[in-house]
Amino acid sequence: MPQEYDLTLKISRYDPDTRRSWIQDYHLKAGRILRFVDLFRKINDEQDPTLAWRSSCEHGQCGTCGMKINGKPLLTCELLVERAVGLFKTHTFNVEPLTAARVIRDLAVDLENAYERVHFVKPYIIARAATHPDGDEYRISPRTLDAYVEATRCINCFCCATACVTQRNYLGPNAVLANIVRLMDPRETAKEKRLDILYGEQGIPRCRTARACSFVCPKEIDIAHFIALAKEGAFRPEPSSTR
Amino acid sequence: MNVAKKLKIDTVLRPEVLVIGAGGAGLRCAAQICECRPGTSIIAVTKVYSPQKSHTSAAQGGMAAVDSKDPVDKIVYHMFDTWKGSDCSADQNIIKKVCESGWEQIVWLERHGMHFSRTEEGRIAKRPFGGHMLNFGRVKAFRACYEADRTGKGIMDTVWGESLKHGVVFLNQSVATELIFKNGRCIGAVVFVEQSGKFVAVLAKATIMATGGKARMYQVTSNCRQNTGDGLAMILQAGLPVMDLDAVQFHPTGIVGPGILASEALRGEGGILRNEDGERFMERYAPTAKDLAPRDLVSRCIMTEIREGRGCVHPDHKLPHVWLDLRHIPEHIHKTRIQEVSGFFRRFVGTDPQKELCPVTPTAHYQMGGAPTNEFGEVQDDARQIVPGLYACGEFAAASLHGYNRLGTNSLLELITMGKVVGDSVAAYIEDTKDPSAIPEDAGGRVFAQFAAYLEAQGKECYAEIRDALRVVMMEKVGVFRNEKGLTEAIEELKELKDRAGRMKLSSKSLVMNQELMQFWELDNLLDISMVIARCALARKESRGAHYREDYPERSPEFQHHTLACMTEYGKVELGKRPIDMSIYKAKGKHHKKFGIIERKY
Ligand SMILES: Cc1cc2nc3c(=O)[nH]c(=O)nc-3n(C[C@H](O)[C@H](O)[C@H](O)COP(=O)(O)OP(=O)(O)OC[C@H]3O[C@@H](n4cnc5c(N)ncnc54)[C@H](O)[C@@H]3O)c2cc1C
Ligand code: SF4
Ligand code: SF4
Repeated sequence: MPQEYDLTLKISRYDPDTRRSWIQDYHLKAGRILRFVDLFRKINDEQDPTLAWRSSCEHGQCGTCGMKINGKPLLTCELLVERAVGLFKTHTFNVEPLTAARVIRDLAVDLENAYERVHFVKPYIIARAATHPDGDEYRISPRTLDAYVEATRCINCFCCATACVTQRNYLGPNAVLANIVRLMDPRETAKEKRLDILYGEQGIPRCRTARACSFVCPKEIDIAHFIALAKEGAFRPEPSSTR
Repeated sequence: MNVAKKLKIDTVLRPEVLVIGAGGAGLRCAAQICECRPGTSIIAVTKVYSPQKSHTSAAQGGMAAVDSKDPVDKIVYHMFDTWKGSDCSADQNIIKKVCESGWEQIVWLERHGMHFSRTEEGRIAKRPFGGHMLNFGRVKAFRACYEADRTGKGIMDTVWGESLKHGVVFLNQSVATELIFKNGRCIGAVVFVEQSGKFVAVLAKATIMATGGKARMYQVTSNCRQNTGDGLAMILQAGLPVMDLDAVQFHPTGIVGPGILASEALRGEGGILRNEDGERFMERYAPTAKDLAPRDLVSRCIMTEIREGRGCVHPDHKLPHVWLDLRHIPEHIHKTRIQEVSGFFRRFVGTDPQKELCPVTPTAHYQMGGAPTNEFGEVQDDARQIVPGLYACGEFAAASLHGYNRLGTNSLLELITMGKVVGDSVAAYIEDTKDPSAIPEDAGGRVFAQFAAYLEAQGKECYAEIRDALRVVMMEKVGVFRNEKGLTEAIEELKELKDRAGRMKLSSKSLVMNQELMQFWELDNLLDISMVIARCALARKESRGAHYREDYPERSPEFQHHTLACMTEYGKVELGKRPIDMSIYKAKGKHHKKFGIIERKY
């Protein structure tokens, strides 16, 4: 196992001031456990301070640093050089922005805009069920929670939305998932409204069951499983069982 | 052609309330204002793509709170633990307010949709956490409410959802750069919108600052890329003081490279710290508690090993570190109890903790100090007078719940309790306050000059070198260990760095999404805050909580106060004092003696 790799990153660039797009090659040496975000920083520090890319927590928890590496959408704070070399069997990597939104500059995309789709499904409780008589929290059994807890782990990184085979007029896997969370949450009573969104114009009728979403999710959420439940009609509103 | 001359306010926005920083604290506050006063127009500014990306989302462990109906745990125990943990430097009026309202705020979150982990009975589950005990320090308490290992995300999603529901307007990927004042009243801020490269002025009846943590000046940190102390720099530039900035908490076991926490749980399950020679060094320093000694002690021991040449240097990240040995821990424990955290080593450093040693080093984690506020979240000036229209909460503020040392899980608790308190204060304040009239002529003047200087600067200084030098000097001389010589040297080095920072040249003069431009500005903020940290640390000739002076290793009654600091020009820091509130002690209630000046011993 070499301690250092000679890498070539072929990075997609875009300059909003001149509207020019091009691919730029960067050659660099990197230790085996540097992460791709570390590589971008290294490029900024040593070669080109103008390369724009976004990250925040760099702990795999916020979903800001998603990009396409050799075509695969993933979080670049989690991608170690060594792992990338193993996964793609190459030392040359194409680095592209996510396609879920418009590019602002280089690798930074307008995720803010992509978020509109999540806002559309109302990521909160629209109308609350009656609360517990003792004034404290709702009672939700661990079993009830288990059925949808996986879906609550989504961090809206838009990797799935980038991989999804339906790119037009579709809310996208993560927004659909956010809606399903509240369909399965016993505290939410606005189920009809949510079902309308789910089966509506931009809802799951657009999904072509290709499972690309589940395949790329960095949080390993089986999104397609939840969409399949929806397609089977599993989210019929039940009489409130939250007490 | 000259971009610098064209800097101006492009648009003026006029909401009723401006929230600077849309993390857990800022948005809990926004949601509260909307609940108290439906229809209030609010603009919330955040540096990230979406509020959901704020650093609160990265918090894992939990949030402490005692239900007053709890048959075993009592609120007074929680208050005691917080006081003791703070090394007698938290404010007791705040401790009381926060601990007493904690459970109510947990229920608020749950009702608004947070997915707490549950007990068999369907209630919110609780787990133990370091420093939280029953019966005044005897047995560990089950007090931390949690959502699996993503409690912060649960809070963030909930308060963000509520803010959306109430129609809060977000200015994302935007940075507040300068506060606007009129006749001593804060009437908003100048905000730079990265995506358009334009400045907007947001004029509001009330401004809330909640820009979160600020620890990016350290070489290893668990803080996100955005935590560059911008908010505090704005406060200082407005001539206002900051409080207790020298109180920086280090977590002993940060994962080398990303600085992610390798939680105490690993050592709780038998993990052993070893130096380069493989020696279990904690045996030498703490023969009984060994690897499970308190956070600050373990951090100091690790740094001693490193300083005395028994540490290692990581070949890829070029960082000094020691090893955490988890190899002897049985497979079933690896697979069940520590799966998540030991998974971090696999994911972020490509190490298999069952077979290999894991590289760890102390990581700057939390800053207890911040903008001084009273118990209503109103920001105070150096004479402890309220600055009308300006509020603060969250990690950015120092009320102070934590004094010189914070207990784990108390920070998330502070966000939601003080966030709510500030929301109530603001809702009442704007009720009978007029909209600010015209925008002052000179609004933005300072930041335009600053940006113009970046755009026009010539010179050969390199941003990355200055940033790295800053992070090393802070880690080595203003970090876990401090002494007069080191701090004095650090102050000189900081002055030099600040000077060099003025000779960095931008590669591109574009204002649109110019990452380098933002980094220059952030570096200036970090340099400012670092200077104040170093100055305060030099003045505090004692050791208290997270602040450890080798030359003054004991706590001293002479420093039984908060430190206020204003910076008039770079390096010139004026220090003042704020008394520590001892109202629980003074009320002479049943357990008041526990709230006197007590020893912090575990
Ligand atoms: C890895 C990690 C784990 C933790 N675990 C725990 C735990 O288990 N329990 C606990 O109690 N605490 C924990 N903490 C501490 C706790 O998470 C933080 O103190 C808390 O989340 C801070 O919240 P906040 O709302 O004050 O700030 P943040 O959530 O950081 O939000 C700050 C906001 O301000 C914005 N901002 C910053 N500067 C500007 C500017 N100039 N202009 C405009 N916007 C700006 C940011 O974009 C962001 O939206 C942890 C911290 C870390 C780093
Ligand atoms: S479902 Fe997975 S891939 Fe999609 S946005 Fe959420 S975390 Fe990312
Ligand atoms: S299963 Fe549906 S949502 Fe997932 S990638 Fe395929 S089309 Fe998109």
